[in-house]
Formats: sequence, C-alpha cells, structure tokens
Amino acid sequence: MNERTMDELLADCTRCGLCREVCIVERLGGHSITSFLSGEKDYSSWLCSSCWRCQEVCPQAVDIHTIMMLKRREQAPPAGHEANLVNVMRLGYALQMEDDINELRRFHGLDAVQFIPAEWVETLLRGDMTRNQEDR
Amino acid sequence: MERMALFPGCLVLQRMPQYEKATKEVLSAIGIRVENIPRAACCGAPLESFTDRWLYLAAYNLSLAERMGLEVVTLCGNCTNTLLRANAALEDPSLRLEVNAVLSPMELRYDGKTTVKHLVQLLVERLDEVRARMTSRLSLRVAVTHPCQAFRPHEVSGFDDPLEPQAMRQLVASTGAEVVDYLTEHDCCGATLYLGDRQLGLEAGRRKLASAAGADVLVDACGNCQLLLERFRGFLGDSHERSRLVVLTLPQLLGLAMGIDDAALGISAASARAIAEAAA
Repeated sequence: MNERTMDELLADCTRCGLCREVCIVERLGGHSITSFLSGEKDYSSWLCSSCWRCQEVCPQAVDIHTIMMLKRREQAPPAGHEANLVNVMRLGYALQMEDDINELRRFHGLDAVQFIPAEWVETLLRGDMTRNQEDR
Repeated sequence: MERMALFPGCLVLQRMPQYEKATKEVLSAIGIRVENIPRAACCGAPLESFTDRWLYLAAYNLSLAERMGLEVVTLCGNCTNTLLRANAALEDPSLRLEVNAVLSPMELRYDGKTTVKHLVQLLVERLDEVRARMTSRLSLRVAVTHPCQAFRPHEVSGFDDPLEPQAMRQLVASTGAEVVDYLTEHDCCGATLYLGDRQLGLEAGRRKLASAAGADVLVDACGNCQLLLERFRGFLGDSHERSRLVVLTLPQLLGLAMGIDDAALGISAASARAIAEAAA
C-alpha cells in the first residue's frame, strides 16, 4: 500500500525542524519521528501522540505519518501497542469485548450491540492476502 | 426522523456508555436518530503500525454502514481519522478491487458512498438546531480540548481550522458558558502517547489538566481524551485529584443546556454536584 520507498518519502524534507518544534513528545523531553527527520539517531517511531500536528505544519508536505509507519515496522513495539494489535487480530477489537458489555449497555438504557463474527475476523485479518501481498 | 449510523469505537463501546448515551440524547433532541452498526469492528487504527490490513478492517466497517444506507457519525478522533483516510485511500480503483475481493465472501461491498463525520462536525453544522433546543444558559467557565485527529490531516477532514479548531468553542459558547482560553488547549491529551510511554502520556494529561484548572469544566469529544483526562485522573497526581475541574464529554455539556436530566446524560452524582456548585 505504501508503494513509496523511504528515500522517496524523505526526498522533499529540508530538515527545517518545524515538525519537531510543534511535537508534544519533544516538548515533554521524548524523541519522536520528528527527531529522526531532523537528522538525529536517538528517537523512537513509537513515541507519538498521533496528533498529526507535524504533518499539518510541514511546509514541504512530507508524508510524516507514512514515514513513521514504515519505521514502526522495523522497530519493536511497546507493550501497549502490541496488546492492542493482539486484541484486534484475535477479536476484531482493540479491547476485550465480552457479553457483559451488553449488560452494562442495558444498565445505561442502550441497545445491545452485535459483535463481528469470529470467522470474519479470520477472513479480514488472517486469511490469505489478495494479490499475494506480504505484510510489511 | 433523520437516521445516521453511530460508530462509537472500541474505547467508547467498552468503557464509556455515558458518552454514547449523551450523544444519542442530544442528537435525538435535534431530530437525528443514530443506530449502532451491527457487527461493526475496530476502525483499524491499531493495525496500521503493523500491517496494511488496517484498510480491510476500515473498509469492512464502512461497507456495513453503506449497506444500511446511512452516513457515519464517530465519537473518537482516532476512528474518525482512520475511516476518513480509508475513504481517501480507497479512491484508488486497484485498492478498491482488492478490498472488495476480501469483503465479497461476507456479501459486503465498498463503493465509497458513506461519509464519515465526527460528532463535533455534525453538531456545528447544525448549530442553529442545537441552539434552538437550549432551555437554559449555563453559568460556567468551560475549557475545551479538541479531538485532534478529527481535524487533521486537513486535506482529508476538510473541516475547521486544522491547527486551532473553532467548532467546539462555538458549540460550548452556544450554551451560554464562557469559553476559557488556556495554554495547552491545542495540545494532545496524551492518551495515544500513553500506549508508547506511560510516563510521557500521563505528563501530557497532567499538564493539560493543570493548565485548564481555572475552568469549572473541561470538555472533550473523544474516547481517548476522556480516558486519559477523566478515567486516569487518579494516576495524574494528588493536586488534580483534588481539583474541582469536572471533565465532561461535549454532548453531556450540551445536554445540560438542553435541560436533559443528569442521569440520562450519564453524568455522575459527584460531577453533577460540582457543576451545580460552580454555577451557583
């Protein structure tokens, strides 16, 4: 899906540092993908608040989000992200969805919800990929 | 009554029936009946860091809404951003073919006919109707935190000012409440950051609550913000636990101005008391 290579994605970046200036992670003392874009080696592609401010302010319209996603597929995930992934792959939801959710909903006067059937999670997320695409 | 499909997202579905309930009350007051999408799954966001199949999951959800023939209303910034970007990506005919091949055994089809709107956008587009339903003016000082991902990237959302959004401020102002400026208004709450680094995530939340502490109420419109700023309040340190700042979701605040009962809006007795004291 991300057909462009890292070099192509980075081609327009001038290392102006504006992305890093608006990054909340950097302001809190962490080092995000915006450090990488500023030429630093000490950063984690996983340290991100997903606020998209960096991409919005980039004067060169660099696709920072895609760069970060590609980098993430090379760097081991923190436990929180991995737990969400495992849940989605297994259940189709980022969090455990048990039937007691419908009890809670009833208590709040909300209709019961129908969950995605397990075999559809299989088809969507674990079945053969069309066009024999490999997961990156 | 006009009908729309509600996509609450995993967080709201699992932990925040109050937000969903208040949304339904307020939308019903302005003549919109929202229905949950049967068999809807996660929007796909948590998968994107690992696999391109996030798009299959997003397209699956959109195809369910398409089959209902309804537009989608979202409650979470992250889901909004993911579903909007999926719609944009699926303008590519080859991707659309690929996705439809995956959806066909489920007798589903993605044709790109469903629009996705965050609750804030839907409400601000109907500001006149919202105003017309107000029965009292709230004498409160309200700080606003914006669901950042519902506004960005602007090329996909096409809505509001992407860096300094105004929609929520307008909606809060329509209640008669005073919208309070504060230093970290446009900073992220820290909820997604928490997944990568707990301490940094909590620090973002702590700074936001501290900066908004001069207000009576902090209003959010996202499951992630509500999780970090309200549910995780206990982890955010003593001074904030004692702070009188009440954290509400946007439809809860609007509902109060519409004269809807606290309980129907899922506002706890303690929060209702604090709001009544602040308004006195």
